[in-house]
Amino acid sequence: MTVALPRQRIRTRLSDAASGLLYLSPSIALFGIFLVYPLFRTIYLSFFQTDTQGTPLSYVGGEHYAKLFMSASFWQSIQATVGFVLLTVPLTIIIALGLALLANEKLRGIGFFRTAFSATMGMSVAASSVIWMFMYNPSIGIFNRFLEVVGASGVQWLLDPQYALLSVSLATVWMNIGFTFLILLGGLQNIDRTLYESADVAGTGYWTQLRAITIPMLSPTLFFVGIISLINAFQTFGQIDLLTKGGPTNSTNVIVYAIYKDAFINYNVGGASAQAVLLFLAVLALTWLQFKLVERKVHYQ
Amino acid sequence: MKKKALFAGLASSVLLLGACGSEEAEPAASATEDGKTEVVFWHAMSGDLETALNNQVDAFNESQEEYEVKPVFQGTYEEALTKFNAVAGSTDAPAIMQTFEVGTKYMIDTNKITPVQEFIDKEDFDTNVWEENILSYYQVDGKQYSMPFNSSTPVLIYNKDAFEKAGLDPEKAPRTYDKLKQAAKALTTDGQTGFTMLNYGWFFEQLVAAQGGLYVDNDNGRSGAPTKAVFDGEEGQNAFNLIKEMYDEKTFMNVGQNWDDMRAAFQSGKVAMYLDSSAGIRTVADNADFEVGASYLPVPNEAEREGVIIGGASLWMGDGIADETKQGAWEFMKYAASKEAQAKWHVETGYFAINPEAYDEPIVKEMWAEYPQLKVTVDQLSETKASPATQGALISTFPQSRQSVVNAMESLYQGVSVEDALKRAADETTSTLGQ
Repeated sequence: MTVALPRQRIRTRLSDAASGLLYLSPSIALFGIFLVYPLFRTIYLSFFQTDTQGTPLSYVGGEHYAKLFMSASFWQSIQATVGFVLLTVPLTIIIALGLALLANEKLRGIGFFRTAFSATMGMSVAASSVIWMFMYNPSIGIFNRFLEVVGASGVQWLLDPQYALLSVSLATVWMNIGFTFLILLGGLQNIDRTLYESADVAGTGYWTQLRAITIPMLSPTLFFVGIISLINAFQTFGQIDLLTKGGPTNSTNVIVYAIYKDAFINYNVGGASAQAVLLFLAVLALTWLQFKLVERKVHYQ
Repeated sequence: MKKKALFAGLASSVLLLGACGSEEAEPAASATEDGKTEVVFWHAMSGDLETALNNQVDAFNESQEEYEVKPVFQGTYEEALTKFNAVAGSTDAPAIMQTFEVGTKYMIDTNKITPVQEFIDKEDFDTNVWEENILSYYQVDGKQYSMPFNSSTPVLIYNKDAFEKAGLDPEKAPRTYDKLKQAAKALTTDGQTGFTMLNYGWFFEQLVAAQGGLYVDNDNGRSGAPTKAVFDGEEGQNAFNLIKEMYDEKTFMNVGQNWDDMRAAFQSGKVAMYLDSSAGIRTVADNADFEVGASYLPVPNEAEREGVIIGGASLWMGDGIADETKQGAWEFMKYAASKEAQAKWHVETGYFAINPEAYDEPIVKEMWAEYPQLKVTVDQLSETKASPATQGALISTFPQSRQSVVNAMESLYQGVSVEDALKRAADETTSTLGQ
């Protein structure tokens, strides 16, 4: 039996809810206009043939999806995306963790190194890409000059399908280290110092402390960084556009870049929307899996 | 009280959003502070070319009182077209839009443009003063849709100093494939490769057209809607074989898809000959610390040279804008096409004059004495035979087709055979034609 609420209370509740909604309305409006509406519009468009401006013309059902699954270039861009994620995410986290452990030591002048290691966070993707583009340039770039000095023959960093994805990934790792480093350093500094003091008293070495205290205590931060990096890696666009434009022979044509090309160069809005929906589902599934599998191992205080 | 204020704020923002969506019945011409009609001009000229373009616009703005042209750089031709596509037909669309040659069919198909033929008819404007080859490219079904503006052709650019060092005659550039291969072999040394071209569809289209080859059927789409890509025929195979054979002999360098990378390779002495647009000649000649030569696009057989397709871009007039703004756009187009303006444009950029009378202007004569390379581009165009091949293909999915061709070129370096690479690109292009 539910107890009927007095009228007065219902009224206050309703008016509370109304004013709550009112306060929320600016962010609901922004969220709705710029996130929710585009999401549903994308799903809707993925079932339509459109004109070049994206106006839906005729309903085609799952045709765009069927075409994608049969298209070799779609599978190639999936392959490139997976390769890109595998090359960038683990490496970024490992390097950033190493740097964060170094920068967490209490040494004189450590502030300089903390600033230096997080500096790439202040660099825009565009500026960083241009710097890397010059370094990779086969004629005037520093990498090939260096190879020449040591007597090796130059490498076509961005022009050889064997190296292009690797080259873009390396540049991306460098770009992402700053942010990852900063978050991990913050996580390290939140670990209770007394844990280490007790460990010191017990006479355990550095590596044991790292394994038994630091990593478990840092696991929520690592988990967060892992998810963010993975989602970011799936959505990488800027450096691909600037460094390779998806080439050579589509070897760096990651799915976001393929979506861009289909929608804005080939004006195939329906097909691009279908790819965007598939990307969304893939990232959703992966994030869910991460929560299911990894979170159990995460130690929250 | 506070709540009321909030409500008012929200309500007004809703109204504002609503206002953005509603359509204005009569597009009004926007005016500048001093009462001139503003004519927005979207273009894709960067670097030295942008400076030259701004000079043209400034000169026009000073020459009259009624209109003020406002140039806005919108990225590469591809990027600018994408942006135009987003606003075409709305009041945000520019009055003048610079679109590359292969965007011609696409622009017509949008139905969001005003053919300049309307103004040509209205004012009885004489287009006979224009270069015939340029006219023939931009005329579709006997109608002039856009105003030719910056026209270029491909040229072979070479390092004269390197020629001398290799024992070649620096005044005699290779004009056939065989001679090109021989020269490239002689020029390839430790640290220097003989020849390169950009992985870009335009150069391939030119190599095919120079042999009289078609890109798509139905006379390159000029006698009827194209149904099939035919660039994988003999002419396309000749061009691809040239690249592949030279690449395998290591006398060809793969410079990728970036124009600046290609020019950097030439200027740093890594490559001795390459194909460029005539619009790049002046910048290259100014920046190289060696003597730069320019010559015709190579062909397999000199006797069967057909010529080149007009490259570059033309100016399109938007639709859905005020009549006054349209008139301003037309006045600027007329100005930019005048022989004085074209003479200045030609010498500042290397694009050639759409009005051949411009070549009689004294500034052109002076400049040709200083940069003899500029004259090569003019001669190459005037020797071109007008035919469906050199008129260029008329398809609306050109950007997509160019991607396929670039992929095909890149796959050559990976050992894919000429036939397979071309066939795949042609099939991909054919499949887009029906859409």
